[in-house]
Amino acid sequence: MIDRARAGDVAAYESLVRRYQDVALRTAYFVAPEADAADAVQDAFLKAYAALPRFRQGAPLRPWLLRIVANEARNRRRSADRRAGLALRASIASPHDDAAPSPEAEVIAGETRGLLLAALGRLRDEEREVIGARYFLGLSEAETAEALAIPTGTVKSRTSRALGRLRVTLEALDGGPADG
Amino acid sequence: MAEQPLHLRPDAVLEDALRGLADGIAWPTAGPSPAGGPDLAAVVRARIEAGEATGATAPGRSRWSWRPARRALVVAVIILLALAALAGAAGLGLPGLRLIFGDPAASPTASGSVGPPAGSPTGSSAGTAPSPRLPTPLPTPRTPAPGPPGSGLPLGTPIGLDELDALAGFHVILPSDPAIGPPDSAWIDRSTNDQVTLVWGTDGALPETIEPGVGMLLTQFRGTVNDGYFSKILGQDTTVELVLVDGGRAYWISGQPHQFFYEGPRGFVEDSRRWVGDVLLWADGPITYRLETSLGREAAIDIAESMR
Repeated sequence: MIDRARAGDVAAYESLVRRYQDVALRTAYFVAPEADAADAVQDAFLKAYAALPRFRQGAPLRPWLLRIVANEARNRRRSADRRAGLALRASIASPHDDAAPSPEAEVIAGETRGLLLAALGRLRDEEREVIGARYFLGLSEAETAEALAIPTGTVKSRTSRALGRLRVTLEALDGGPADG
Repeated sequence: MAEQPLHLRPDAVLEDALRGLADGIAWPTAGPSPAGGPDLAAVVRARIEAGEATGATAPGRSRWSWRPARRALVVAVIILLALAALAGAAGLGLPGLRLIFGDPAASPTASGSVGPPAGSPTGSSAGTAPSPRLPTPLPTPRTPAPGPPGSGLPLGTPIGLDELDALAGFHVILPSDPAIGPPDSAWIDRSTNDQVTLVWGTDGALPETIEPGVGMLLTQFRGTVNDGYFSKILGQDTTVELVLVDGGRAYWISGQPHQFFYEGPRGFVEDSRRWVGDVLLWADGPITYRLETSLGREAAIDIAESMR
C-alpha cells in the first residue's frame, strides 16, 4: 500500500489516510487543543504525501506520519502568553451509553475525570505531548520518541516529570470541583 | 468513588486513569459529517488531485473544508474559546451538558449586557480575524416584556401546560411545592433540541431573577451524546459547586451572570441564550434540568427534589 501510494496511486494513499486519520486527529488535538485538528491533519497528510519518496522503506509508517502531524499542529499553537491554560474537552459520557465503559474508564469517576483534564491543561506543552502519546494513543516509548522527535531517554524522563507535575496539580485542584 | 484522591495513589493507578481518560475526551472525528460532507481522507485525496500536495502548501490558505457555513461556525467556536481564555473544561456527567471555564467578559458579545466586564483582556490578534458569527446573547430588557412571564426571552414558542409531554416527547416534571404552584407560561424551542422552559412570574415565594418579571425558570431538555449539548461560558467570578439532588450529582452555579451556548449535533454553536443568574443543573436519566432562581442554593435543591 505504501509502495503504491509512493508510486503516485492516490486511491492507495487515501486508504492509508483513512487508516491513520483517527490517530492523527487525536495527536493534533492533544498537541494543540486550541487549533482546528482537522485542518492540521489535512495539511499534514498533504505534506506526508509530498514527502513519501523520502520515507525509508520498511520503517514503521505510523510514527513517521504522526511526527508530521505533531509538527503541523505545533505550528498552529497560539503563543503561550495568549493562553491562560489549555483545555482538552471532555466528551459527554451518558450513563445510558450502549457501549460498556472500559475497565480503566470505570476507574475514574466523572469528577476525577474533570480534575484530571484540568490538571493536564496546566502541564507544559511538551509534557502533555508525551502523556498523550503514551497513554491516549498507547504508543511505545520508541514510537513516542519518533513521533515527537525526541530521544527515547527524554521520553522516559519527560513522562516521569509529567506524572509528578500532574500529582502536584491534582492535589492543588482537589480542594473543590471548580474554583476557577 | 470516595476513595483515596488520585494524587496519592501509585503511578500505576494514575497511568490507568490517564489511559481511561482517553475514552472520555471529545476527540475530533474524521467524518463523514452528519450533514453529508466527505470524510477527511476524501478531502485529502481531492486536494492532492487538485495539485495541492506539491510540498509548497501555504499554511492557512486554500484549505478545503466540509462546508463553508459549517466551517465559519467552527472558526467562530474556536475564536470564541480563544477569547474566553480557557482555564479548563470538564464534562459533568450530566447528559448534554458541559462546562467551559473562561471569562465571558473577554467575549465581544459580552459587552453592554448584564455581565460585568471583569478586567476584560483584549484579544488583539483575534481582532484581526474576519468577524466571526458569534452567537449574540440578547440584551436583557430592563422592564418585563408584555405578555406572560418569559415573553421577552428567546425561549421558543409558547405552549399549553396540558400539551407539555406530547410536544416535548418526554415527561416534563414540575415542582410539587404548593407555594410555588404551576408555571405561568411554558415554551418549547424547536431550534435547541426541543428544549422546554417553564416560567414563573415573581411573587412572595419567588423573588425576581436577573430577568425582570421572572421569578423562576425551569428548563428541561434531552441531552445525549449525539443530540447536541450545552456549553456554558463561565467567568472567573462565577463559582461552581458540586451538590446533590436526590442523591445524584448536581451543580450549583452562582456569582456573576453567565452564558449558555447550544451546540448542535454537529458540534457547533447554533444558538445562544441570554445571561443567566444563579442556576442549579442536574439530570435524571437522559433529561437534563436547569433551574434558575434567586432563592439560593438550598431552596433551589429543595425545589428540584420536589419535582414530580
